[in-house]
Amino acid sequence: MAVNGVQSKAGDWRNYKRVLLPPIRDLHRLEVYEAHGGYQTLREVLTSDRWDPKAVIEEVKKSKLRGRGGAGFPTGLKWSFMPPVDDRPRFLCCNGDESEPGTFKDRQLMEFNPHQIFEGILIACYAMSVRTCYLYVRGEFARWIEHMEHELEKLYARGYVGQNIMGTDFSADIVIHKGAGAYICGEESSLMESIEGKRAYPRIKPPFPAQRGLWGYPTTINNVETLANVPLILRNGGEWFASIGAPNHPGPVLYGISGHVNRPGVYEYPTGMLITDLIYEVAGGIRGGKKLKAVIPGGSSTPPLRADMIDGVTMDAESLREAGSMMGTAGLLVLDEDTDMVSWLRRVTHFYAHESCGQCTPCREGTGWLENIVTRIDEGEGRLRDLDLLLDLCDQMEGRTVCALADAAAWPVRYTILRFREEFEAKCKPSLIPTGIDVAPTATE
Amino acid sequence: MADFIKKPVVPLPDLQPEPQIPADQLYFTEEEKQKIARFKEQYLEPAGAVMKTLWLAQEKFGFLPPEVLQLVADELGIPYAQVYGVATFYTQYYKEKKGKYVLDVCTCFSCQVCGGYDILHYLEEKLGIHKGETTPDGLFTLQEVECLGACGSAPVLQVSNGPYVHNLTPEKVDQLLENLKQGKLPPFVSLTLPQDEAELGGNRRSDAEAVESYRTPPVAHHTR
Repeated sequence: MAVNGVQSKAGDWRNYKRVLLPPIRDLHRLEVYEAHGGYQTLREVLTSDRWDPKAVIEEVKKSKLRGRGGAGFPTGLKWSFMPPVDDRPRFLCCNGDESEPGTFKDRQLMEFNPHQIFEGILIACYAMSVRTCYLYVRGEFARWIEHMEHELEKLYARGYVGQNIMGTDFSADIVIHKGAGAYICGEESSLMESIEGKRAYPRIKPPFPAQRGLWGYPTTINNVETLANVPLILRNGGEWFASIGAPNHPGPVLYGISGHVNRPGVYEYPTGMLITDLIYEVAGGIRGGKKLKAVIPGGSSTPPLRADMIDGVTMDAESLREAGSMMGTAGLLVLDEDTDMVSWLRRVTHFYAHESCGQCTPCREGTGWLENIVTRIDEGEGRLRDLDLLLDLCDQMEGRTVCALADAAAWPVRYTILRFREEFEAKCKPSLIPTGIDVAPTATE
Repeated sequence: MADFIKKPVVPLPDLQPEPQIPADQLYFTEEEKQKIARFKEQYLEPAGAVMKTLWLAQEKFGFLPPEVLQLVADELGIPYAQVYGVATFYTQYYKEKKGKYVLDVCTCFSCQVCGGYDILHYLEEKLGIHKGETTPDGLFTLQEVECLGACGSAPVLQVSNGPYVHNLTPEKVDQLLENLKQGKLPPFVSLTLPQDEAELGGNRRSDAEAVESYRTPPVAHHTR
């Protein structure tokens, strides 16, 4: 659907052939994955003269792949930050912590296509000369961890992981690390603290993980979905990948659509899909034939967009930035006209107050106060000046902490107030009557 | 000395707590010790294995009282304080005794707008307890948790850090409680991808015990 003449950057998405979650039955099994060309790319990369580690990184750079974990940093560039090989150990962390509310894409990859993640990990290990990769999966996904460990054992038995992979002199280990329920572990430096067996407090950057990461050694952290794209890039070439979807943010993306839509779920399409296409065509429109009120385009920390702001906006970093939001994790939450935005925001602030790790004061105290004040407004006891107080509090939190959790907590508050102010004011109404004035019931009441 | 100095603002932890696990049960078997040794090999320093060892201990003892934390610390050769710090940082490690089944109901915003609180309140009424409490018979503990990462099939709950139950309705909750009372844990459910429906009939994994579609029941009333 072209809105106001704007065409989707995703091109002919209706005939898009899925590559991250291709429609193959039992693809999660090693036999099936291999029968469909799995681990061929790894074999070629390891044995062919064409692919030395530098060439792999160059190909990933050429593909313009950007991280799918939220920040959208170019993956090839991140890999090239690793220092030259010396006798120190080097590490790769694959981030499957997926705790951002509204995001549920990585779990589908782990369930239906785990071998593509493993293949991507091994290729990334080869490109950066890494011997050990930690695959960090959140503790709630216990069943999916069991399934992946089962497949990983098969890989060790086949000689695809471990010593001298496929008979070459390249060796790499994959260790699945089970988290235990902390949102903050999705932040890369706190993920490393967690693997080291400490309380997962984020570290100050710089030094960046490529200089001082796990146990002080060079480390790279990539999202699960990012690494699952790597075998595709090397199989089909960087240009092929760069030609999918939006030119500045290319590739296939797993869109997780949730909330008030008829067909929620994970959909694989190119980047640059029109948000209107995703809601009305892909997800089957708003449930109950209602009108749209708001869209949260990429997980809880991205600013919500009002229904009148999404015309012609496409799902890529540039377009969403212009519209006043972010790509995040591409987990769209769709809210219909009956949603109470104040009550919604109250739950968001509760989430951040619960998940703040408590290391930095602006975040530890700030998230709690955000929740207290929004709760007060939601309960009908708010004052109008609370709205300014909230915005002031956001100013005090943003950019004043070690990691970005404080920013992630402040953005939804700031932008929900700016974009849905009338709802907040309506909830403050009961307390609008100045104190000190005796409000006697009128005769008619 | 003034009274308020003597009295701490928050209750201090009991420094000499009564052990909750009998001393004759408080040990790791040889097999478990070998497992822990393997965990240690996976990390550059033994401290890295603390999370896996805590999971192992929680599976064995059911929860992690101070004496179990001390046991883990001794096994890994790291300070008690570090193990205590890790165990208290993460929500999935139980620091006190829970019911046989822990029901973690997700109410984070995708579940909220699809009726997560309705399910939570239904369970509260059904079990006669508030969230965070355990039923008198020690069977169920009800908890409200943050996002479980299954927003497409909201509302969702998780049973004892294990299986997920998707697309909850009151009827489904009744059925779940009945099954749990008989000791039957819910099966691993594979969710169909909407895009698969045309090509694979939705069911992509033939080894999953149950298959469910993403479609969710009607929206909650409390958001209106």
